Amino acid sequence: MIKYPSFLVVFLMIFTAVSLYQIKHFITKKEIELAETNKAIKTTQSDLYILHAELSYLKRPDRLEQIAKNKLNMKGILPIDIWNLKDLVDATKTFNESGL
Amino acid sequence: MSFFQFQNNNTQKNDLKMRRLKLLICGALLFIAFTTIGYRTVSLAGLNDKTVKNSFRSVNSKNLIHPFRGNILDRNNNLLATTVNISSLNINPQEVLDVNQTILKLKKIFPKLNREKLLQKLNSNKKHVQILREISPRDHVSLLKLGIEALKIESSKKRIYPNHSLASHVLGNTDIDGKGIAGIEKKFDKVLANGEDISISIHSGIQHITKTLLLEQINQFKAEGGAGIIMDTKNGEIYALVSLPDYNANNYNKLLGNKLFNKATKGIYELGSTLKLITAAVALESNLINENEVFDVSSPLRISSRTIRDYHPLNYAISIPEVVVHSSNIGSAKIAEKLGSSTQLKYLKSLGLMDKLSLELPELGRPQVRTDKKLLTTMTISYGHGISITPTHLASATATIVNNGIRVDPTLLISNSARKNKRIFSKKTSKTMRSIMRLVVSNKNGTAKQAEASGYLVGGKTGTAEKTNPAGGYFKKQNIVTLTSAFPMNNPRFVITVMIDNPKGSKRTAGWVAAPVVNKIVTRIAPILNIKPQTKSSVNFSRNLLKFKIRGKDKGAIL
Repeated sequence: MIKYPSFLVVFLMIFTAVSLYQIKHFITKKEIELAETNKAIKTTQSDLYILHAELSYLKRPDRLEQIAKNKLNMKGILPIDIWNLKDLVDATKTFNESGL
Repeated sequence: MSFFQFQNNNTQKNDLKMRRLKLLICGALLFIAFTTIGYRTVSLAGLNDKTVKNSFRSVNSKNLIHPFRGNILDRNNNLLATTVNISSLNINPQEVLDVNQTILKLKKIFPKLNREKLLQKLNSNKKHVQILREISPRDHVSLLKLGIEALKIESSKKRIYPNHSLASHVLGNTDIDGKGIAGIEKKFDKVLANGEDISISIHSGIQHITKTLLLEQINQFKAEGGAGIIMDTKNGEIYALVSLPDYNANNYNKLLGNKLFNKATKGIYELGSTLKLITAAVALESNLINENEVFDVSSPLRISSRTIRDYHPLNYAISIPEVVVHSSNIGSAKIAEKLGSSTQLKYLKSLGLMDKLSLELPELGRPQVRTDKKLLTTMTISYGHGISITPTHLASATATIVNNGIRVDPTLLISNSARKNKRIFSKKTSKTMRSIMRLVVSNKNGTAKQAEASGYLVGGKTGTAEKTNPAGGYFKKQNIVTLTSAFPMNNPRFVITVMIDNPKGSKRTAGWVAAPVVNKIVTRIAPILNIKPQTKSSVNFSRNLLKFKIRGKDKGAIL
């Protein structure tokens, strides 16, 4: 006759063995996933670094200046092109006071 | 039942009880042990994505998030320096099946490859030969598509500077192992090596404008080089730091000589009359000279073996503002005589003009100041001779003068908190100096009239000094011309210091060579910096500025 405690011990041993096998299998799978994710992140990061560098190269101030001048016919802003709203009010006041 | 039999039965019962107790204890211990192991097993089996992510993050965070050396960014987060993976093309000649066919395929993608050299490489006995040090990702894909045998694409890291020569002296460079050897790369090597990014105070656009305009002038006057600094007057943040000639930072290892030399922070020069600003500020600050005192400049001043003369002689006694506006050496020397050597040196020290800058660059020049306390030395220092400083030192001193007298130390880092710096001059002295500096540009007798940028109230001081001869004395026909300026003078926001080394031509003074650069720089950068031009009718136009009488050569009173 098998005694109750012995049955429990055997059951626990089998349970532990199966669980450990499952865990090992699970961890191995996760490790592969991790390695793949790791590689994918590094590749994406490397690509991002290159893209940022390319964007920065294209945004070079000297290049933008050439494009603005030669392709868009843009010119530098002169002080006369910038109006302060307060000065505009003052100018209007002077204009009204002079009765013109 | 005998007594012995009774005793024996009792002992047996006790033994049985004891054994059962032992078995129970062992059973209980085994149960606890297995329950613990079982619990741990079940909990491990219950791993979910969250726990995996957490452990992954804690173990691998460094390797994954920062695989490369950190980037250097400008104040608007534009990339100035970064590291990328590059691929190199290598081949094992022993595995090549058909040399001619391989050469044909390679030439399809890289037409510039030399056939003879390729043939030589492919016929060698080596097992590893490099064909190209760098290939683009597109070429890499093309090579894979062609399916050339024996090819080996190897990956390595490379530090690149997408803006080429922009701020090359500030950024510095790294060696072949990726270690910082100059500039920011060297100063912040540990931080960058840990993969952390660094944002510096440089503004790429303003840096480009300063460089372009300075270079135009250098080319026009066939000068040897120059330097330009644009600095925030409140916190000392440097928006542009240019040293010319400069270089393409991607070719650093192929460069030698003066291109690598940082004229803005390492080169020390006698910056001439720009130092009169300091002499005047010290005179106004100290109680040794009365504000309305005048100095006779009608005849040259002979001290020891030397005669001090003015470039534009005047035949009457002039005030402190007039000394600065007319840039009178005699007037400045007479002010210095009254101040004395100790006061002069004390202020030079407190302005930081006798020490290295505290700037975040390894390339810093140590000023050279004559400290013999002789009268002639005190007098010559007052107009910028016998004192050699870097242009950045001058920018820092100018910022201190216009920033209500509170010392401004230049920095290449963005300051997140306000620094409490020492007061060198009073608010009153600063206001007077700002007004005088404005007159140097706006008055018809001023030496920097060409620096006037309409509406932006530029103020400054010119300096034209003969270049020092390393063998002793000065080169009579070689000048260092400088203009240190600030704008807008009713509430100065930025200091601009421009220095040009040895301009050629008949008009090679600071007023002709350096001043127009400042005018152009201000006009271009003010809209970027959100500084609005002010019209003469504006109530703010001359607010915070004092009026001084500046007389011309004919003694006429001109405001």
